Amino acid sequence: MPNILTRLSEWTNARRKLVWLMLFVLVVAVVAIVLTPVFLIMPFKAQTPRIMEVSYLMRRWSPLLTIIASLLILTLTIGLWMAGRWWSRIVLAILLLPVLGAAWLARQNHFEWMFNPLPNAAYAKAAEVTFVNNDDRVMAVRIGGESVAYPIRLMGYHHLVGDTVGGVPIVATY
Amino acid sequence: MWETTVDGRVLHFRLAGINNQNFIMRDDETGTWWQQVTGLALHGPLKGRQLKAVFHDELSFAIWKREQPQGRVLKPDERIAAQNKYEAADWEMRVGRMRVVEGADVDKRLAPRTLVLGVEVGEKSKAYPLDALQKQSPIVDMVGSVPVMLVSGEDRRSVRAFERTVDGRKLEFFQKTENASASGGLQLIDAETGSTWNFEGKAIAGPLAGRELKKLFVLEDYWFDWRIYHPDTSIYDIGPQ
Repeated sequence: MPNILTRLSEWTNARRKLVWLMLFVLVVAVVAIVLTPVFLIMPFKAQTPRIMEVSYLMRRWSPLLTIIASLLILTLTIGLWMAGRWWSRIVLAILLLPVLGAAWLARQNHFEWMFNPLPNAAYAKAAEVTFVNNDDRVMAVRIGGESVAYPIRLMGYHHLVGDTVGGVPIVATY
Repeated sequence: MWETTVDGRVLHFRLAGINNQNFIMRDDETGTWWQQVTGLALHGPLKGRQLKAVFHDELSFAIWKREQPQGRVLKPDERIAAQNKYEAADWEMRVGRMRVVEGADVDKRLAPRTLVLGVEVGEKSKAYPLDALQKQSPIVDMVGSVPVMLVSGEDRRSVRAFERTVDGRKLEFFQKTENASASGGLQLIDAETGSTWNFEGKAIAGPLAGRELKKLFVLEDYWFDWRIYHPDTSIYDIGPQ
């Protein structure tokens, strides 16, 4: 450790500038890989197969890439922190915020914030139902003698409901 | 609606995105992205695989309950119901006025948010505007070389489609005019044998009593969305009124 610190204090200005540049590029890249698919696959926008593929790849790899990039950024930050004055330390601290935010967002499913899943679906007997009107529409399934109705007003809110009907695992979608 | 078993493994799906206003589902097990409307895996380890469709109807609750009194019904999430966040009874009408994003390839034969009943038989697909069926039920038609029939229930909103052949014989259908005994629902009669049929496609009286028509899956969809996934679709033309 002591000899690393000495080495850091010996950084030249040119070297320091290069490290700052790397840091900025990494921060922008981390934020971009997480936010790009959010914007590309927004509701009410047109998507092409290419857009979907790029979004998939970014969503697929961003959890891992944001961790690797965060470690690199942290290393660079420590170096600049040691060698830096108070004002550059403030800039370094501010730069860490979007990085941590991106690493967190890469692990979230913001579509489940917008469209509300129903993980523990419950059911009532047809004869005892009070929450559906006669003219409400339902999606009706019958498998192996078992019948289930999924009211469309509920499906229009939750969109996906997993179930097992007549022994067959299914997903009801709307 | 899809079966969730692929290669002997049960997948669990979540919403993971939107592709031209149609949901993308992601399975927890492999991370593959699936198009909800087609059941096709678009990206990921299972790319190219197709989920098996589960046959289902869209019916009014009254008709479903009459046909399936022993069935079970999905319950609302109490927390969400308490916050009054579920869709109101008229929400379909409001969605019908929402905007539509269209690419360069626009098919102007119908307005984008026209509700159509999409029927697919073999390679052929055909869109029946819902209001055509509400004006004239049953619709007796052909999709490609297959004789089909679309019927709306006594609520004028529930819809079923059938292949209208029995033992290779094509049948013409009419709605019985002295109709819908309050409990039994609407009745159809076929011109060839005079048998009486119910809304489930079962013959309940006459020479064909006990026979059943093959049900066809009906996808109720907006025209623009149906057209994206069925680019070669034809449209039923009700003709001059």
